Amino acid sequence: MVNRVIAAADRSFARRAVGAASPVWRVDGVLAVAVAALAVISVLMVWSSTRTWAPGSTGLVKKHVLNLGVGAALAVAVTAVDHRTVRAYAPLVYAAALLGLILVITPVGAEVNGAHSWIMLGGGFAFQPSEFAKLGLVLMLAMLLAQPAEGGDRPRGPDVVVALVVAAVTMGLVMLQPDFGTTMVLGVITGAALVLSGIRKRWLVLLVLAVAAAGAAVWRLDVLEPYQVARFTAFLDPSTDPRGVGYNSTQSLNAVGSGRLFGKGLFGGGQTMGRFVPEQHTDFVFTVVGEEFGFLGSVTVVMLLGVVLLRGVRIARRCGDRFGTLAAGSIVCWLAFQTIVNVGMTIGIMPITGLPLPFVSYGGTATFANMLAIGLLQAIHLRSRTF
Amino acid sequence: MVLHLGNPGRRISIGLIAMTFVLSVFAGRLVQLQGLDSKVYAAEAARQRVQEERIPARRGSITDVNGYELALTVEAREIFVDPLEVTPAKRDQVAAMLAAELGEPKERIAAEIADTGKRYVPIGTVDPIHAQKVLAHGFKGVGSKHEYRRDYPGGDLAGTLIGFVGDDGGGLSGLELVHDKLLAGRDGQQSIETGRDGQRIPMTRSTRRQPVEGRNVRLTIDRDIQWAAQKAITEQVAATGARTGSVIVMDVQTGQVAAIANAPELNLKDWGKTSAESWVNRAVADVFEPGSTNKVITAAAALESGAVRPETVFTVADDIRCADKVLRDSHPHPTERLTFSGVVATSSNVGTILAAQKVGDAKLHEMLRRFGFGAKPGAGLYREEAGLLPSWQEWSGSQRCTIAYGQGVSVTALQTASVYQTIANGGVRIAPSVVAGTTGADGAFVPAAPATRTRVVGERTAREVSLMLEAAVSAEGTGNLASIDGYRVAGKTGTAMRYDAACQGYCGYTATFAGFAPADKPRLVVLTVIQDPRKGHYGGEIAAPVFKKVMTFALKSRKIPPTGTEPPVVRIRAGE
Repeated sequence: MVNRVIAAADRSFARRAVGAASPVWRVDGVLAVAVAALAVISVLMVWSSTRTWAPGSTGLVKKHVLNLGVGAALAVAVTAVDHRTVRAYAPLVYAAALLGLILVITPVGAEVNGAHSWIMLGGGFAFQPSEFAKLGLVLMLAMLLAQPAEGGDRPRGPDVVVALVVAAVTMGLVMLQPDFGTTMVLGVITGAALVLSGIRKRWLVLLVLAVAAAGAAVWRLDVLEPYQVARFTAFLDPSTDPRGVGYNSTQSLNAVGSGRLFGKGLFGGGQTMGRFVPEQHTDFVFTVVGEEFGFLGSVTVVMLLGVVLLRGVRIARRCGDRFGTLAAGSIVCWLAFQTIVNVGMTIGIMPITGLPLPFVSYGGTATFANMLAIGLLQAIHLRSRTF
Repeated sequence: MVLHLGNPGRRISIGLIAMTFVLSVFAGRLVQLQGLDSKVYAAEAARQRVQEERIPARRGSITDVNGYELALTVEAREIFVDPLEVTPAKRDQVAAMLAAELGEPKERIAAEIADTGKRYVPIGTVDPIHAQKVLAHGFKGVGSKHEYRRDYPGGDLAGTLIGFVGDDGGGLSGLELVHDKLLAGRDGQQSIETGRDGQRIPMTRSTRRQPVEGRNVRLTIDRDIQWAAQKAITEQVAATGARTGSVIVMDVQTGQVAAIANAPELNLKDWGKTSAESWVNRAVADVFEPGSTNKVITAAAALESGAVRPETVFTVADDIRCADKVLRDSHPHPTERLTFSGVVATSSNVGTILAAQKVGDAKLHEMLRRFGFGAKPGAGLYREEAGLLPSWQEWSGSQRCTIAYGQGVSVTALQTASVYQTIANGGVRIAPSVVAGTTGADGAFVPAAPATRTRVVGERTAREVSLMLEAAVSAEGTGNLASIDGYRVAGKTGTAMRYDAACQGYCGYTATFAGFAPADKPRLVVLTVIQDPRKGHYGGEIAAPVFKKVMTFALKSRKIPPTGTEPPVVRIRAGE
């Protein structure tokens, strides 16, 4: 159903594009519109959740608009570049990302909320290398797995091993911060790239077993911090400690639930104004949508995110080259994972994890990284029919 | 798909299906959260955010008939401490300051403000100016909260009548309890929305219900007369070593009570240190056998029935056999020939029994009932009692005689005063009342509903009884000590044997005097009761002087002039 609607919208867009020579007219309009709509909603939600405490009331939302503007410019710039050119620079991008990850765990990095994730740039601006690491890993793995070293149509053992080493180094550096959420995103990107690269089923089975074993080891060997275990327990039964770790979840559900069908209107959310939900402009931004725009608004946002993902899938499928398919597919899986985990946590069907909602949460580096990813998708889309 | 990469295309499709499935699950969850169960979440959210706050209504005051306040509500401030705001280093200073300002032990305050588990520790209540002084010390964590405090400027003036309020501001006894609803008004309420940090959420609607102030109750009590009555009875109770005493002053033409005094009286300023027993208004709650003051009812019944005239002569011995008992007059005397007026004036029990026998039990009972015996007077007072009036069929042989002179029935002081109001008012009983009316915030006075008026005996009967009572206060009567120079006074002494549960029988006496003035144009009734006096016990001896004092004061206070008439000569004995 959704597919058909999108296909129809795409056809109408395509009709309008007929006769336009410039490739700019051949970008995926549906994807662009969906992202733009999410950006507009994002501005409103960040404004609503910060205006009662941000400096001058609009201090944060102004910065957010600036971030989105920069992000959009970056997206346009990447769109203009042929993705095969991008592939050539993939090792460089990846190296830069690694450098950032190394810098952040040295004294150059700043600790915020218990994690060394930031590099302060001064003037109130800060940079989060782990967000760029997602993009770097996407490009690096796509490059490695798209061209098997021994040729042939699918990666063999050595290719997989190299890819796993690259992924492990990236994830390891992020774990040192420590940032468990981003590590999982990197894991999803790696998994997606491997699966889509067409590796043999036995490799897949082996990898799944390895991940399961690693998970069990992490659980049993007390690698997890106590707060992480507590979050998981609280997710299974939020009533165990409604004022402690269950607090976020309880408050989140109260805010979303009290929005009911039509919501309380923009700036009308009492739970939002009362600042009951923690981190509401970042990780819990979906609760603002839920309270102020109600069920209709929530479903609209979920659908817009769905549209972005479906368009990404479509781009991955239609792309003629392996690099494009792998890069687009990994990006979709990255965005899908963050969307599902974030929305799932605000509506109480996933444990609390500190992952922002793509395109909607406040956050400079994340916005840039997401926008760059969209730019890359557009670039792949533009050149997928011309091979 | 033209790619021959093995199966990536199929893998993308599987991923697509999985994603669509998850997003559908989300939509379903949103239907549940924001649709089906949204009421629960919305209510829980509102419960967190909305704070209900009571806006106390100011309680109305209780004033005397001239508007002097006997009970009033004043602004006060509760001084409290938020222990979390007081740094440990400052605790000692804060405790020392509060101890000095509020007169509370420093150790206790220090201990309480060291408990950071609480956010609100009340220290004491002071007036607003004092509170400013406390806050002026500038200690962080010390605050004041707006409050009301009930004040009783009169202290023990009409203490049990007025009663008091408890710590929650609600009436606990007396008129404070009886008229609690009227006085209390209705508290207002407001709900405000506060955020997680407790701060008011800006721009949220707050619902507010204004408090309705309590009404002021104006009594019929006259502060000056009340004070005089209370002083007189307190002094006499002390002088006679009596247990208790009561005085009631009542307006003849309206039934309104101008004073209702007891000794000892409850001091409203520190009722907390007294026992519940002393919260009772004895003048309406203590039941006793009235004795000879009751002879007016027998006399009224005899005259009303037509069986006896004031000049009817009785041959009165000093004792009479009645069933199994021999009943005597209070003083031994040779057999006399007394007129009926003489019987009442000299307070002869034997003569009264002879008159009652001409009336009959049923008619006497009926007359007692019409004068208000066995029923609450209906003055709307706290713990008003009805007394005991057994039906005439149940009267024992001797009771048939003793009831004629006020033994074997029991009444309250207020009931007795009401009997004399009825005679003084030409036979029309007006239910006694203590509330003149109420005023609201607008100051408009709303008078109380008029008291019920009942004709009890004919006007002629009342006038004839009144003349007999005047004779009782004359030099030949038992109540001569009640006479007031220049005024015509009518009244009756009473000296009753007092039933005492402690000794399981009659021990001690009840001395009473009830009367009114001016006798030929009655305006005021005064009743005096003294329970269990140790020095002297005759009503004419110890109760009559109190009557005289209080009546003299009340006549002057009310500016009631003497009538200037001479009492007619009343024949006491046959052949005089």
